[in-house]
Amino acid sequence: MMPVTGGLPTGVRQRPQLEGWMLFILEDTINGILMGSIYGLAALGLTVIFGVLKVINFAHGSLLMVGMYVAYWAVILTGLHPYLALVIVVPVMFLFGYFLQDIIIKPIFKAEKDVREPITVIIVTTGVWYILDNLSLLVFGPQYRNIQDNPLRGKMLEVVGMLLSVPKLWGFFAALLTAVAIYWFFQKTRTGRAIRATSLDREAASLQGINQYKVYNLAVGIGTAVAGIAGVSLVPFYNIFPSVGVLFDIKCFIIVVLGGLGSIGGALLGGMIIGVVESVGAQFMAATWTEAIVYGLFLVFLFLKPSGLFGVKYEW
Amino acid sequence: MRERNIWWKAYVCVLAFAFVCPMAFLVDRPASAQPKVVKVGNILPLSGPSASVGQQNKYSQDMAIEEINAAGGIKSLGGAKITMFYADSESKPEKGVAEAERLINTEKVHLLTGCWNSAVTYPTTAVAERYGIPFIVPVSVADKITEQGFKTVFRIAAKDSWWTRDQFVFINDLQKEFNMKVGTLAFVYENGDWGKGFAAGWNKLAEKGGYKVVLDEPYPSTATDMSPLAQKIKRANPDVLLLVSNAADAILITNTMAEYKVKPKAIIASGGGHADPSFLKAAGKNAQHIFDIVEWETDVNKPGVQEINQKFKSKYGYNLAGESVDAYIAMYVMVDALERAKSLDPKAIRDALAKTKLTKGPAMIAGYDAIEFDETGQNKYAALVMVQINDIGKGMERISVWPKGARRTGYKPVFPIP
Repeated sequence: MMPVTGGLPTGVRQRPQLEGWMLFILEDTINGILMGSIYGLAALGLTVIFGVLKVINFAHGSLLMVGMYVAYWAVILTGLHPYLALVIVVPVMFLFGYFLQDIIIKPIFKAEKDVREPITVIIVTTGVWYILDNLSLLVFGPQYRNIQDNPLRGKMLEVVGMLLSVPKLWGFFAALLTAVAIYWFFQKTRTGRAIRATSLDREAASLQGINQYKVYNLAVGIGTAVAGIAGVSLVPFYNIFPSVGVLFDIKCFIIVVLGGLGSIGGALLGGMIIGVVESVGAQFMAATWTEAIVYGLFLVFLFLKPSGLFGVKYEW
Repeated sequence: MRERNIWWKAYVCVLAFAFVCPMAFLVDRPASAQPKVVKVGNILPLSGPSASVGQQNKYSQDMAIEEINAAGGIKSLGGAKITMFYADSESKPEKGVAEAERLINTEKVHLLTGCWNSAVTYPTTAVAERYGIPFIVPVSVADKITEQGFKTVFRIAAKDSWWTRDQFVFINDLQKEFNMKVGTLAFVYENGDWGKGFAAGWNKLAEKGGYKVVLDEPYPSTATDMSPLAQKIKRANPDVLLLVSNAADAILITNTMAEYKVKPKAIIASGGGHADPSFLKAAGKNAQHIFDIVEWETDVNKPGVQEINQKFKSKYGYNLAGESVDAYIAMYVMVDALERAKSLDPKAIRDALAKTKLTKGPAMIAGYDAIEFDETGQNKYAALVMVQINDIGKGMERISVWPKGARRTGYKPVFPIP
């Protein structure tokens, strides 16, 4: 890390040599992809729910927060490896989502069944967001928690002079596996095909004997379970607090629009793009500006390709 | 005849009233000469968003007044007792101003103190100045409060801009104590008013001190990933890293820096998130060796600190905080001035306050060694306390290290970070 004149136009005033420079960019890109895949994982649940219900779920960040708390308590109370806690987190979160849809959102859906885009449901999800966030504030208190001794915390992998975060690496693989599993489920299983049929045309699907409300319950259940997986991947290195969902919420929306609403691969890729912009961009400018770039990218996509990277052109 | 009777009675009434009124004054005067009362108006946010800190202020001042009155009040005024007139500002400037008017005109207070929120204190001191009533400001830190050219305003706490000043004095003292040179600095701060204000101060001081600034980086407090920032700090490779952070980001930055093995010689934080109790818990041993600047810490090595803190804790259930300490000190500064003024004339009290030279007594639970006001009414010697987070056998704790007079006995700061 010898200083050299010329080079990075950045706040880092002591400039590295070119070779180190390349290594830095590579390191930042990899880190961006790792963190971005976790963003993508968080957005995956949102895109699944949107793909089927055609409703933007504003409570998604809160579902992520609930997932993090479930993962936190599962690890604290049982002493499991964070990723083994998935055995508890996934079913709990699936049931949570299933019944959230069945008990709270479904009645509104039924009341609005003649409308193609049920806007009141969006407002209900906003209500759910506030209730969940404040409920967790009441129950768990405002303090920041993290799991002090878990086998992944603070672990770093050193590859040719680059430092890579082990918990994020786990998150990366969790994201890939989850995406593949969901894709497989939607393509290959009978239930998955029923879900896709409903998402393409709910009337036609109903005529084929598919119970659309049950499909909705399943879709929200799956989306919530995925939020739980995202929660598990964050817990080893992130803070857990009642409003943590809000930090990820907006990012999830941007990712989903970037990748194409309802697209599974798109969510993952969108997440990675944002991760790389944040990580590499921050080396050339103040971190505050990378946020501006992310939002700028979002606007550009809305102007030029509103359907996102992998979104379908026709209307839902 | 009947009519005249009524008028006669009315006349007698008015006459009687006209006689009795001055009589009341005559009766009142000699009576008040025996047990004199010092009336102190105290405007605090007792409800609204700052209610909890306002209440803490009130508690520590109540305790001080209780002690003073129990010890015989103001001896030079024949054992005059102090009576507090509390007024609630609700953290609203206009409410503070109105209450100051009321306290001065209706309650006829001899002194004013308060108002915790700088935004309330600022306009309220103007009211006091207009009436010539001395105003003791315990904690409102905004620089401008003592920069209005007022004659009646006296502030105990260190000014806002002194936080950065003291951080640099500390860096200087550290270099001397450990005989090691600090050449490069990195500034990392949340991108709000607070962080930017600190950064502006740091940049000036760094230029003056001849330090090289290798990184000047604002970041959004809501950032979800701090590893780009940690990398940037690592590549800038500063000797000393200065931070301004809120709680969530303080934890995240500390943990991420540990992961990326970012090791400057020293990390100096600016209170806020780093002083949040959940920071120590959530950052754990990654927080070790971080320096943090605060108003006061329960372990400052001054006589009386432990006893007074214990008394406060047993009374109200929690430790004294820096601001409560300033509020407590303010009461003893006031008593000292009253003793020397030997009068309840606001002018005499003001002049006595201006000549304050306090070096002993309960007021000296402060981290610094004397209280004296400069011509703007600012406590010249007010200084902040630097603590180091370290584990010396009782888990991670905040240990006072600076100023040297306040350092915990037997503790040697760790510098550079091993």
